[in-house]
Amino acid sequence: MALFGFWILFSASFELIHLGLGLVFSFAVAWLNSGHSPFIPRFRLWLRIFLYFPWLFYEIIRSSLHLSKLILHPELPIDPHLISVNSKLRHHAAVVLLGNSITLTPGTITAEVERNNLIVHAIDKVSGGDVVSKHIDL
Amino acid sequence: MDILAIIFMIAGLFFLIVAAIGVVRLPDVFSRSHAVSLTDSLGAFLMLIGIALHEGLDTNTLKILVVLALLYILNPVIAHATIRAALRSGLKPWKKKTS
Repeated sequence: MALFGFWILFSASFELIHLGLGLVFSFAVAWLNSGHSPFIPRFRLWLRIFLYFPWLFYEIIRSSLHLSKLILHPELPIDPHLISVNSKLRHHAAVVLLGNSITLTPGTITAEVERNNLIVHAIDKVSGGDVVSKHIDL
Repeated sequence: MDILAIIFMIAGLFFLIVAAIGVVRLPDVFSRSHAVSLTDSLGAFLMLIGIALHEGLDTNTLKILVVLALLYILNPVIAHATIRAALRSGLKPWKKKTS
């Protein structure tokens, strides 16, 4: 159903032949891919995610400004190091989201993931400290 | 509306330029990819929002928002793949000289 919505969005025409083709293909793709998706939509997770994204966005802006300051600083005061982060997350999708968020935030990049243990490359003490101190748990 | 769009685009441009400077100035792959991640998280975001505002409420705007969502999902994946490949092939991260 979501795929059909995307089809309407991209083709932006409401003629019968377009809509029919879109309907057939979107359901075919959905049927072919059912059972592959690791993201089991649990309702509680989806509710909290709407609180999570604004907070993540605030963090992105904050660390972007910090990283811009570092780059433009004449002495380039960076101190890259690897840190290891342990998370209590059990759900696979949650760990994926955590790693994605860490990488999305400028200044930190997830380098390696092993079940619950993430190795993060941080560009300086401040960026690294953010990851360790602010438990980015759902 | 257009003024707002221009403001967003200029802000995005600022972050893109900073990221480009960062790619040149920083010492190794790991820290350079931080600069690149600055591009996609704020630079591209502000640029795309500027374009969306310029377009007005249209199907094109919705397409731009879809592009933005895909960018936010896919770019960390690419950065992560690059860094993991660099780490696994035995590249040591650059360290500040301890004096």
